[in-house]
Amino acid sequence: MIELRENEQRTLMTISSLGGKADVDQIVRTSGLAHASVMRASLRLSKEKLVKVIEQKRAIATLNDEGKAYARKGLPERQLMKSLIKLGGKARIGRVVANAKLENQLVPIALGWLRQKGWARMEGQDRTLKALKEPKKGKDEIVLKILAENGATITEELKKEEQEAIAALRKRKLVEVEKKTLRILELQAKGRKLIKKGLKLAKEVSQLTPKLIITGKWRKTKLRKFDVTAPGPPMNPGKIHPLQQIIERAREIFLAMGFTEIRGPLIETAFWNFDALFQPQDHPAREMMDTFYLSNPKAGKLPEKKVVNAVAKTHENGWITGSKGWGYNWKTQEARRLLLRTHTTAETIKYLSKNKNPPIKVFSVDRVYRNEQLTYKHTAEFYQIEGIVVDKAVTLCDLMGTLKAFYSRFGLRKVQFWPCYFPYTEPSAQAMVYVPRLQHWMELCGMGMFRPEVLSPMGIEYPVLAWGGGLERIAMVELGLNDIRQLYGNSLSWIRRTPLCQ
Amino acid sequence: MPVITLDRERFSEFVGRDLSLAEMTKWLPWLGFDIEETGVDFVKVEFNPNRIDFSSYVGVARAFKGLRGWEIGLPSYNVKANKVLLRIEEAVSEVRPFMLAAIVRGIKFDEEGVSELMEMQEDLHWGLGRDRKKASIGVHNLDVIKPPFTFTAVEPHSVRFIPLDKNNEMSLKEILEKHEKGIAYKHLIDWAPKYPLLIDKDGKVLSMPPIINSELTRVDKNTRNLFLDVTGTDYVAVEKSLNVLSTTFAEMADTIESVKIRYVDQTVFSPNLTPQKMKLRKAYTNRLLGLRLSLPKIIECLRRCRIGARKVSKESIEAEIPPYRIDILHEVDLVEEVAIGYGYYKLKPTFPSSVTIGKQHVANKTANMARQIMIGLGFTEVMNFTLTNERLHYRNMRRKIKGTIKLANPVSIGYTVMRQDILPNLMANLADNKHESFPQRLFEVSDVVGLNRKLETQCERRLHVAAVSSHVNANFTEIKSAVEAFMTNIGLKRYRVKPAENSSFIEGRVAAINVKNIPIGIVGEIHPEVMNNFGLENPTAAFEINLEAILQ
Repeated sequence: MIELRENEQRTLMTISSLGGKADVDQIVRTSGLAHASVMRASLRLSKEKLVKVIEQKRAIATLNDEGKAYARKGLPERQLMKSLIKLGGKARIGRVVANAKLENQLVPIALGWLRQKGWARMEGQDRTLKALKEPKKGKDEIVLKILAENGATITEELKKEEQEAIAALRKRKLVEVEKKTLRILELQAKGRKLIKKGLKLAKEVSQLTPKLIITGKWRKTKLRKFDVTAPGPPMNPGKIHPLQQIIERAREIFLAMGFTEIRGPLIETAFWNFDALFQPQDHPAREMMDTFYLSNPKAGKLPEKKVVNAVAKTHENGWITGSKGWGYNWKTQEARRLLLRTHTTAETIKYLSKNKNPPIKVFSVDRVYRNEQLTYKHTAEFYQIEGIVVDKAVTLCDLMGTLKAFYSRFGLRKVQFWPCYFPYTEPSAQAMVYVPRLQHWMELCGMGMFRPEVLSPMGIEYPVLAWGGGLERIAMVELGLNDIRQLYGNSLSWIRRTPLCQ
Repeated sequence: MPVITLDRERFSEFVGRDLSLAEMTKWLPWLGFDIEETGVDFVKVEFNPNRIDFSSYVGVARAFKGLRGWEIGLPSYNVKANKVLLRIEEAVSEVRPFMLAAIVRGIKFDEEGVSELMEMQEDLHWGLGRDRKKASIGVHNLDVIKPPFTFTAVEPHSVRFIPLDKNNEMSLKEILEKHEKGIAYKHLIDWAPKYPLLIDKDGKVLSMPPIINSELTRVDKNTRNLFLDVTGTDYVAVEKSLNVLSTTFAEMADTIESVKIRYVDQTVFSPNLTPQKMKLRKAYTNRLLGLRLSLPKIIECLRRCRIGARKVSKESIEAEIPPYRIDILHEVDLVEEVAIGYGYYKLKPTFPSSVTIGKQHVANKTANMARQIMIGLGFTEVMNFTLTNERLHYRNMRRKIKGTIKLANPVSIGYTVMRQDILPNLMANLADNKHESFPQRLFEVSDVVGLNRKLETQCERRLHVAAVSSHVNANFTEIKSAVEAFMTNIGLKRYRVKPAENSSFIEGRVAAINVKNIPIGIVGEIHPEVMNNFGLENPTAAFEINLEAILQ
């Protein structure tokens, strides 16, 4: 025994009431069911061989605006012909046109069709138009009328010559034809049998209510069976931003490796951002081209004199660090300038100046700024990953190993280290990483050991390993993006559809 | 970063071996070059500004041969003494006090050689000269001028000469006003009453440093003998520039000759290509690198980097640094040279044994709690820049500009100030997502900045949370529920809600959230005019809370 759902029963009955054969639109109109419900019912009914679904390709013809206008006024050649006959069947072209009130641009078209249809001929030097015969209504004009009256018309239901006329009108760009698939449901023997046996329209309940449960009435109620495969209405969950998700991954790796998180101000003095890191005051990176400075407030305060003096002397002549220094006059004013920090290392050195007992392992994944135009490659604001290890006897090779361990957690296992230069580290290197997803090597981060010129003024006695790089680069690889702006575009559709587990 | 394009064939000539492109791209990175582009028969590489000597084929080939072990140790440069005299007059001391010079004989140029010279000059101007301010270079055809030379300063209209690439004589003043180089660099001298000028025995003009050379001394492929001058405001930069330049020419010419330079108070001979000496300890080297290299091995590594090295004790080495290496400031720089000479590719990553326990920062821990609650309340996170602009931040929100933290050099009109709260960004996010399905509930937990004169930086970074709910039925009640749920769950129980006035919200539908009588947040229904300003259609309710109270 086949059990039908309510919608399926109603669809079946409707087909039966429509004479055993009807198209989907008809069923929808008659039954009052939703289109989608009938379509879903038809799937089940045909699967059970109760009905047969016949698909017919149909061409639907409609008039466009120009076509509609001609249906009212007549085709241009008919308009000319009427005018000519009124003028006695023979007249100068100018008069015919003027009398017909035909637009100038239509005249050549009209004349062309007059000749082609053999209705009239042009004679002599003075361009006299002469009617050849009294034209009857052409097939094209008949079709024009049909289409005007019926609206959208199934061409297959027209006579053969009318179908040909439609093709001609389509060529004249008066008619548009749209192909459509018509679904007709036809009752089958099995279906007829089922109806004969008597299909009772049992009322089904879709929503179970507290009342039904408490009263026990649910026992006598038929709970509608649902198409459990049908998609539910879309729902948008509250959700973490995909970039924040990557930030959290980086933080988790650091924490798992025993690093402590540090966090400093976004606005810094040039002293901590540059001077403390042995970047000379005329270094190109300090220029307005690369760094955002503030116009309000303009200048900040410097730390205790002892530290400032040590930094100043180191820049000027190397102080007691054993360095030659940069050999210029260090200026307090320049160091007091306020800026948007260009790297998190500003906070790192500040932290190390106050925390000197090894072992120290600290990190940050935090906001930094560069004076850049917003492009697909650059943003003025981005996240920097930074890791620091301080211990009595750590080495360049230890730095390489730490960094490798960190990035391998991102699935980036093949790493190469090339020599590189940074003003505050020596030896320095840059890490190149092979990205399996992109199948090429990518510059990942810069790294090195803090220079003695950085360490001594802060009273740091042990080697400091440091590495830092952009987070967005990894995020773009992880999220499959090639435009960094997408990360900060906050397109809801992107955030809503991006899975959290990549 | 500066770039040099190395044609394979030409580079092979300089190295003295037939190299393949693969060999070049394999080994150049181990010298610190970044491969920018590999072409049909060339490699375009970027180099770090500390190695400005890499701005010529000579410089790259010199290092390449060393790393490969084909030619190692200190390159030697003989400077032949010459009596050519250059007088530095008192008049220049105000505007451009320093000048050094050298003579190069028997140079063989081709077309490419001349254009490489130009590029190298530009790299030096950029890297060492700070765009000609500290030092700038002039290269002249020696055979058309007569020593002794004089570096002087003259009245802006007193001298006329034909500047390089021009046909007509111009006065110094005209050059600054009309010549493209004059316009570009006039700020370096136009404030002085007299402009610097380099002339020969007969008063013929060699150049007007640091602006332009004269057409007279133009160098082309037929030039055989050169007069090099470097002028500037920084003696060290001038000397370094001349060293890089003359050591490059030394490998392309027959001889380098010195010039006797007579300042008012002293006389020097330049160029001085004597290598500088520096001590390097074995233990220090191994301790930093994590290697156990023997003294002879360290010496070999240095020699591969073209640094002279000899043992002076069981534990230390005396290094001789070639005059073009302007970047060796400290013993630690030699340690890196050892690593490069040893080969970075041979360094084996190890893992430090330091045992530590990780801990997250309280601000980020709190931020994550806030995120969790907001997500639970059905809000979706967005992330905005902290840089914004006054139109969005103040005008669109119907509020007065107050306490703005402003950039001195914004790069676009969109980013001119630091945000003081998050809400305006969320409104902009709604505007950008008008076509997406509603309801739209957005939140952000992130940084804003406010003035605080007590702090070293005069500013304070604050952690905020802000949220908007936007849909046909959004209202005060809904957002009030959300804010109460947030406050309870984040653990701020003792808060007070008080009616408030805020021009971004509808009057009578906005409240302040106070903790210990200090306002820490705002909640309400957004004012319709604000909605119009952002081009939004759906009613929107919002809140924003400063989380610093929790952090303390």
